[in-house]
Amino acid sequence: MLKYVGKRLIQILILLVIYIAVIFFLLHAMPGGIKAMLTMNPNLTPQAREAILHAFGLDKSLWIQFLTYLKNVFTLNLGISFSFYPTPVWNIIAERLPRTILLFTTATLVSFFIGFSSGKSLAWKRGKASEYVATVIGVITYTVFTPLLIFVFIWFFGAYLGIMPINQFLNPDLWLKTNFTAQTIFLYLLLTISLVGAAMLAAFAVARKVSHKVKTRKIIFYTATAISSAFAVFWWAVSPYGIYGADILWHMVLPVLTVAVVSYAGTMLVMRDSMLETIKEDFITTARAKGLPDKVVRDKHAARTAMLPVITNFVLSMGFVVSGGVITESLFSWPGMGMTLLNATLGKDYPLASGALIFTGIFVLFAHLVVDIIYAFLDPRIRY
Amino acid sequence: MSAVLEVKDLKMYYSTKQGMVKAADGISFTVNQGESMGLVGESGCGKTSVSMSIMRLLAENAKIVGGQILFKGQDIVKLKEEEMNKIRWAGIAMIFQAAMNSLNPVYRVGDQIIEAILAHEPDVTFEEARERVAELYKLVGLDPKRMDNYPHEYSGGMKQRAVIAMSLACNPDLIIADEPTTALDVIVQDMILKELSKIQKKLNMSMIYISHDIAVIAEVAEKIAIMYSGKIVELSDAVTIFKKPAHPYTVGLMSSFPSIHGEKKKLVTIPGEPPNLLNAPDHCRFAPRCPFATKECWEKTPPYEEIEPNHYVACFHPQNLRKQVSING
Repeated sequence: MLKYVGKRLIQILILLVIYIAVIFFLLHAMPGGIKAMLTMNPNLTPQAREAILHAFGLDKSLWIQFLTYLKNVFTLNLGISFSFYPTPVWNIIAERLPRTILLFTTATLVSFFIGFSSGKSLAWKRGKASEYVATVIGVITYTVFTPLLIFVFIWFFGAYLGIMPINQFLNPDLWLKTNFTAQTIFLYLLLTISLVGAAMLAAFAVARKVSHKVKTRKIIFYTATAISSAFAVFWWAVSPYGIYGADILWHMVLPVLTVAVVSYAGTMLVMRDSMLETIKEDFITTARAKGLPDKVVRDKHAARTAMLPVITNFVLSMGFVVSGGVITESLFSWPGMGMTLLNATLGKDYPLASGALIFTGIFVLFAHLVVDIIYAFLDPRIRY
Repeated sequence: MSAVLEVKDLKMYYSTKQGMVKAADGISFTVNQGESMGLVGESGCGKTSVSMSIMRLLAENAKIVGGQILFKGQDIVKLKEEEMNKIRWAGIAMIFQAAMNSLNPVYRVGDQIIEAILAHEPDVTFEEARERVAELYKLVGLDPKRMDNYPHEYSGGMKQRAVIAMSLACNPDLIIADEPTTALDVIVQDMILKELSKIQKKLNMSMIYISHDIAVIAEVAEKIAIMYSGKIVELSDAVTIFKKPAHPYTVGLMSSFPSIHGEKKKLVTIPGEPPNLLNAPDHCRFAPRCPFATKECWEKTPPYEEIEPNHYVACFHPQNLRKQVSING
């Protein structure tokens, strides 16, 4: 296993270099180019032009520039943004990445759980009217033109009903008098979610160790989850950040709803198909013959085996979590990575665009590694 | 001897787009305490449908339309699903046709057996269940250390043994072994069957062996039922079936298998193929393939009668047939 991970890490490194090369040359192939941008001013003297080009290393060949950039990336220097001069790219990403991660992790988790459990039930109760209805609705929401859906949602919830904030990720009036930034709140929110998640994972592991009875395991797991969530809510309620955290979460509702509606059907259909395949297996008949209750056969035997392709789907969709839906973020004016990427590319902010893309790349490559490792845990037939 | 299982006039039909498929059409037999019965027939004659009806593990389009299945005097056709779950495995266990695939690939083999024990005996602790599995492993000739392995780490024969161990886990009154050794080579097949038979006698369990191979059944079953096209055509003790087969189909089955002892004979195949169970005809279903068929056979279904004590046959010409066999053979 360790040897496999080591091998994969080397692969990831090679892929990353290739990926950076693609990004670099692709961005430089855009019409215009940095040189023209910096020296467009007709008032510049030839000496000044030379000086500028020399200062940025633009007088060297593209290959040399690429190698310099590669060296900078691997020494964790992503440069300085053009459009937010003189803010380093790092700071911009550090500010925007948490926003996107919070929004899309929530949305992905929500859509995954809806898709997983509905796909499971649909396959189990095959041929009922609910199956046709859910499948048709799922396919419609999956194929619908996302901006249209977002506009409809914004109009319905924000304008017609008037119960939801329609843009931005916070209410500026509320934040006027604060002495901390939204970045802090985002980081605390993410920290809370990770801690609760870690507590749930630990409870799951402990429950497996302590008892062999499904009921006891469930009790341990749910109690631990309830306690850690209650603790988290309590901390937010008493801390001065509480109201601001709530403000951000409130602004998140509509984008999360949209992303979940658009993408739950993907998980649902994959889970349904995989489940239908598994149900035909002989070990399901064995499980039934053993006199196990229907739910145990469904969850412990069928769904557990059927979930493997769905997990792949899920982890791969995590790439989305970093790049963010460009469309979703733009339409909801959610200033995260997706919007940054869009604006940086349109504004020819080369360092920022490549920085954002490299981040997405690294995340996706590692997500693949995580899939492989999770697989080894979920499917005992796979060993590295 | 008390009857563990009594099947009375069982009718199980599949409804398909083309019509009703009568997979089990008036099946009756009794299995007594400690008795082993063999159910023999060609592929597609409804053997597995009978066993699935007894377990009540029917496909969605299948339905038991008539008859009774009495397990220790209780009609399980009418039971609710929860009540049936209590009988499954604890009362009637099963060794499945494809033992290779009847273990869940993502769980340890031992845990899958323990799961069955804990589901039926909630008072048993996990450790006690583990000990019982270790005992069962020894009984079927497996190393108890292999309990913590996954199915893919077992060989075919080991999986078969594990599946047998699993069927014994809750001390069932009856085990249905549906083609228990089909996927194995002849030597392993023989070994496992003999052990299975030994365990059955030792624990005084009842057993139903299902197979298309009458030679396999002959080794282990005291009583044999021959099935053809959703019906039992002949039922008697193993010796009678072999010495004095009364139904032409049974005779055909006998002569299509080689015998190691006895004289060398040319193997005779039964001409034609099993009938489609869809919209089965009203006349004797074997008539199209029967060398002895008369006008009568094409007009009505022969009754299922006791032609001599404990020898049931559904044929208009069983007596004729016996003369014929003695002349020829």
